[in-house]
Amino acid sequence: MGDTEVGTGLRAELRAYIAEAFLYLHPDLELADDDEFLALGVIDSMGFVELVEEVQTRYGIAVDALEITEENFGSIDALVAFVERRR
Amino acid sequence: MTTLDEDLRRAAAADPGKEALVAGERRMTYAELDAAASDLAARLHALGVERGDRVAILLPNGAEAAIAIYGTLRAGAAFVPLNPTIKADKLAYVLRDCEATAVVTDDTLAPLAQEAREQAPSVRHTFRAEEAAGARGTRSCPAASVSWPGGARSRPAPTTAPISVDLAAIVYTSGSTGRPKGVTLTHANMVFAAGSIVEYLGMRAHDRVLCVIPLSFDYGLYQLLMCVRTGATLILERGFAFPGRVLELLAREEITGLPGVPTIFQVLTAAGAGAVAHDLPELRFLTNTAAALAPATIDALRAAFPQARLYSMYGLTECKRVSWLPPDQLDARPDSVGIPIPGTEVWIEDDERRRLPPGEVGELMVRGAHVMQGYWKDPAATAERLRPGRWPWERVLATGDLFRRDNEGFLYFVGRRDDILKSRGEKVAPREVEAVLHQAEGVHMAAVVGTPDRLLGQAVVAYVVLHEGAELTSAQLRRHCANHLEDYMVPARIELRDELPTTPNGKVDRSRLTEEAAQATAVTRN
Repeated sequence: MGDTEVGTGLRAELRAYIAEAFLYLHPDLELADDDEFLALGVIDSMGFVELVEEVQTRYGIAVDALEITEENFGSIDALVAFVERRR
Repeated sequence: MTTLDEDLRRAAAADPGKEALVAGERRMTYAELDAAASDLAARLHALGVERGDRVAILLPNGAEAAIAIYGTLRAGAAFVPLNPTIKADKLAYVLRDCEATAVVTDDTLAPLAQEAREQAPSVRHTFRAEEAAGARGTRSCPAASVSWPGGARSRPAPTTAPISVDLAAIVYTSGSTGRPKGVTLTHANMVFAAGSIVEYLGMRAHDRVLCVIPLSFDYGLYQLLMCVRTGATLILERGFAFPGRVLELLAREEITGLPGVPTIFQVLTAAGAGAVAHDLPELRFLTNTAAALAPATIDALRAAFPQARLYSMYGLTECKRVSWLPPDQLDARPDSVGIPIPGTEVWIEDDERRRLPPGEVGELMVRGAHVMQGYWKDPAATAERLRPGRWPWERVLATGDLFRRDNEGFLYFVGRRDDILKSRGEKVAPREVEAVLHQAEGVHMAAVVGTPDRLLGQAVVAYVVLHEGAELTSAQLRRHCANHLEDYMVPARIELRDELPTTPNGKVDRSRLTEEAAQATAVTRN
C-alpha cells in the first residue's frame, strides 16, 4: 500500500505545517482533519496566501488561481486530496 | 445631497426594487436596506441613543454591517467601524476613547464585545445581530432587551436626521505613538470624498462592485458609500481567502468594478486568472491603493483583464483619498499615483512651509472638503496634521508623506516621515506592536521594523531581548501578539537576541535592524 504510506506521510507533514504556521495561535484548539480552517478562524484571508505559497514550493505544484477554493485548501482533508491529485 | 443618509433615501426612492447588496446567500434591494436602516434607527432611539452619539460596529463584511452603518447614521449618530480581528484590550481602549454608547456585533464576536465592555462604562447596549438579520430579528445581550432589525416600527422623527456638518464616523488608524487615533469625519467630508471618487471612476447605477476588503478599512467602507451614492450594487465578501471564489463571483455576478490592494492583485494574477478573463466582458475597472503595484503585477493584471481600466491611487484615512492616476497615463508614468482627486488641491512643501517646484522632495499637503475635522479628543496630534490654511477658517492636511511631482504635475510617493509600516495594505505602528511585546512577562527590550515582502508589501519583524532567566520562545511571543493585536499587526517573524544594536546616543538602532531584517529575508528566499 504505497499510496497509504505516501498519504500518511503527506497528511502528517501537512498537519505539522498547519500546526507550526497557524495553530500555535490557538493552543486550545483540537483541529480535526475535516474542520474548515476559515470557519474556525485558524487561517485568515491572508493566511491562505501563505498556505498556497507553501504548497507550491514544498510540493512543486503550480497552483492555478481558480483552484484556490474551499474545496482544495479549506481543510487538512482537502489539502491532502489536492496535493495527492496534483503532485 | 449633503448627508450619507440622504444618499440612501434617494437611492431607495429612485429605484426601490434595485439590488443594493449581495452578501453570501442574501440579496437586498434599496427599499429593504432603507427600511432596515429605519428599523435600526428607531431601535437605537428607543434605547436612548441620541444624535451625535457614537455607535461601534464590530462585524465582518455582510448585510448586517451595511444596515448597522446606515441605521446608525439615520439615528443621527456616528458609526465607528472596527476590524473584527481586534482584541479585547484594544477594543476596550477604542470604546472608551470614543465614548461609544452602543456596539453592534454578531454571535461570534459578542463575547469579545462583552469582555471589552466591562472596561468601557459608556457602552450601554450591545446588539447581537444574527445571520438572517431583517428576516428573523436579532437577540441582544442581557443589558438591552431589544430586537433588531425586526418588524414594522415607527420611523424616527425627522428632527433626528443628521445634517451635513454632523459627525458621521470616527475611523481609527494606527498612530506613530502606538496608540490608535480616531479620524473624525462629517457627512460633508464623506459625501464629498465619495462623490469625487465616483466622478473619476465614472461610476453609474448599473455598476456592480465586488468588495473583499473589510468595511472597517476606509477603502472597503467607501465601496459601500459610493455604491449607495450612485444607486449601484455592492457584492460584499467576507474576505479574500479563496481567489478561486473571487474569480467565480466576478463572472457569476457580472462584476464591473474590483477594488484591491497589491497582495490581492498579486494572488489573483497568479497563473490562471487570465483563463477566465474572456468570460468577464462586464469588468471595466480595477482600483489599487494602500501600496504601489509592482511593474510585473501591473503587466499581469493588464494581460489577465485587458478589458478593465486600472487605477493607481493614493490616500490616507485623514482625507480618504488624495490622488488618482488616469489609466491612460499608466504606460507613461507607471510609478506615479497621479493627480489630485476632483475638487481638491495638493502641493509639496519644505520644512519652512515653502511650496517646492517640480522634482524636489517635500511633504505632501492636501486641501479640500474631504480633509478630516481632526483626531478625536487629541488636539496635539490634530495640530500636527491640520495646519492653518488659505483662509482663517480653513485647515489643510499635512500628510506626513514625502512626495515629488513631475513637470506635468503628476505625483510620486517617495517615503514616509514617520516609522509607520504598511503590511497587507494596512498601517502598522511599530510602537503599538512593541508595547504589546513589552507586556509579555520576560521581555526586556523589543524593536519592531518592516522588511520588504513580495506579498505583504512589508512584513512586520520583531527583535526581542529577554530578561535574564526568562524562558520565552519566539512562538510563545507570536501567540502573545496574536492575542493582543489585529491579525495584520502580528509579526511575521520574531527573533530573540542577546542585545539590540544601538546608535551612538544609546537608542535602538532601527535602521541597522531594518537592514538586518532585509538581509535575513534575502537569505531565506534563496
